[in-house]
Amino acid sequence: MAATITATAVRTCFGDGPATVAALLRGACGAAGLRRSDPARVGVGHGYPIDDDAPFGPSRWLTDCVAEAVAAAGLDARRQRVVSLVGTGLRESAEVERAALAGSVDFPAERLHFADAVASAVPGVQRVVTLANACSAGGSALALAQDLVETGEADAVLVGGTDGSSASMLAMIGRVAARPTGRVRPFDADRAGVLLGDGAAVLVVEPERPGRGLARLLATGLSCDAGHETAPDPAGILRAVRDAHQRAERRPEQVDLVLAHGTGTTLNDETEARVIAEVFAGCEPGPLVTALKGAVGHTSGGSALLSVAVAVEILRTGRVPPVVGLTRPAPEAAALRLVREAAARADVRVAQVDAFGFGGLNAVTLLEALR
Amino acid sequence: MTDRVHAGHLAPTPDRGVPPPASRRPGQVTRPGRSITDARSGADPDRQVAAVLAAALHLPGADLPAGVADEEPACPPERAADLLGRKGLLAKEPATRLALCAVHRALGLAPKAPRPSGPADPRTAVVVSSNLGNVATVGDIARRLREGGPREVGPLEAPNASSNVIAGAIAIWFRFGGPNLTVCSGATAGLDAIWLAGLLLRTGRADRVVVVGTEPDDPQAQALHAARDGVTDARPLRAGAACLLLGRVDAAPHPLALLGPVRAGVPVDGTPRGLLIDAAAVAGDHYGAAGVVHTALAVRLAATNATVTVRCGDPVDGMRELDVRAARR
Repeated sequence: MAATITATAVRTCFGDGPATVAALLRGACGAAGLRRSDPARVGVGHGYPIDDDAPFGPSRWLTDCVAEAVAAAGLDARRQRVVSLVGTGLRESAEVERAALAGSVDFPAERLHFADAVASAVPGVQRVVTLANACSAGGSALALAQDLVETGEADAVLVGGTDGSSASMLAMIGRVAARPTGRVRPFDADRAGVLLGDGAAVLVVEPERPGRGLARLLATGLSCDAGHETAPDPAGILRAVRDAHQRAERRPEQVDLVLAHGTGTTLNDETEARVIAEVFAGCEPGPLVTALKGAVGHTSGGSALLSVAVAVEILRTGRVPPVVGLTRPAPEAAALRLVREAAARADVRVAQVDAFGFGGLNAVTLLEALR
Repeated sequence: MTDRVHAGHLAPTPDRGVPPPASRRPGQVTRPGRSITDARSGADPDRQVAAVLAAALHLPGADLPAGVADEEPACPPERAADLLGRKGLLAKEPATRLALCAVHRALGLAPKAPRPSGPADPRTAVVVSSNLGNVATVGDIARRLREGGPREVGPLEAPNASSNVIAGAIAIWFRFGGPNLTVCSGATAGLDAIWLAGLLLRTGRADRVVVVGTEPDDPQAQALHAARDGVTDARPLRAGAACLLLGRVDAAPHPLALLGPVRAGVPVDGTPRGLLIDAAAVAGDHYGAAGVVHTALAVRLAATNATVTVRCGDPVDGMRELDVRAARR
């Protein structure tokens, strides 16, 4: 079985979907100085911020995406059974920090999850369930969204992902970075670590109907390494990849493009490059590989869906953005067909999107062109 | 699509055009409510969705009625080593410790039984419900950063900054390699977790799902819990955890009980389908854990009641309901 993605909407440091895709294709980097945390306090100086510093940014960006996606798909939540799943790494943890520092809570605790953020843009939505699934949260939500549509439990699922940054998470990425860095450099020999990006993404998932939709959602495979909280495990990642291919009924040689998780950390990129090499061993010439985090930062809970939204555009236009921040590939990535320096043109029919998160959470999605 | 009125005693949630006064602040647009119209979902309340293979409560200090209470009292989080053994507990937060204790009990393991080793089991999934599990750590790290900068924070704390720390810790502790989800949807989180567990079983993503509800009761968690718009009484947040081991209905020869579909809506007057287990059945509010705690209680009561109805939620997050049926032996 398969489902269809009938609309996408994103917010990143570059703006909305068209602005983001245009920036990616020209190889722009959205890195800038931190806006909402003091670099001296958190030990990190840069990020990929959205120009919006008011509290509850992730909720607001999500609401904007939901409104745009609902309008684009023509959803009517009063006539259709519309459910929403929202993936996030940090929820509104920045507001928990604000409350802790102030010694008082000045907001209703319901705003730590995203029910109101969704329902305010789509009255009539049946259930809004927030999943705190770390950096692969959007991918997990997408897997369940397809399940809900395919089992007939929902007519449409608004699947979202959103995250900003919290001081506690910034401090953590600062502690694990090899050295301070001003930008993310996926798969580069000189990569120094990851930086957080503000971002939200929403997709509308509906049952497949001839002549409708932007791309075919083939399947998402899920797994948990169950080995280490922060170090990725190739065996766990491989299980998610194989699960995705099996559910999608596609072979590795049918995959034309991989949108890698590519966080620019030593551990992730090395592990991911090796897994890609293993999965596509024997495929000639093998898939193109690109990654977005050098351009937009690590948008955590939204990152998988942002990659899916960009993949949908690639499947429609054949224009593949380069890996921004990559100048000299790391040895383990040297054999991959990394898209470098400028956007490539390619006939991409099947795209794979990788997402891995804290706790060893893996979600791998396969999409297919409707052409 | 035909509208059908389900046979439960939840009615569709009416749209709340105007939010409760407490939530309105100057300049804020009114918040339309979530219209939860389960009547349209077509879910057959008599369909069995999951088999309960085991159910455990871990509610330190709870005074449970005879016939429901465990023989061994639940240890508080600071004494979790009594049940789990000492290794690996150092950086674990109270909600994680309570969750690990509940799973340990559901698996029927002896105190301090050795932890599983070998490859992770890819067919067992984990679904956790918790809203406040890591808020104390997040707040504490923020305070230390303000006072002393990044050197004050150690890398061992890193996982606790992420809201999925509990589910990840359970997977690592017990080597569960299947899908791993953390539900934090407020007062409905526990039954939302059971809803998604049923989906994982139905779609073949797992053969067994470990559902765990857990909340702490530290001051930061209490302050947030008290600041909900959905507060209907002064019931305080109560620390505790519960665990359900769920399997497919067609693959469980001797289940403890069977679970029907999770319904969404608002309660209406009328005769309940069976004995009702909701917040009134326990002391305090288990918040994100409530749906799992109430269901675990209901499983024990299903030994003497044909149908037990479980409920959790509040006026803002909405209500969820589920029927627990005695399994035919």
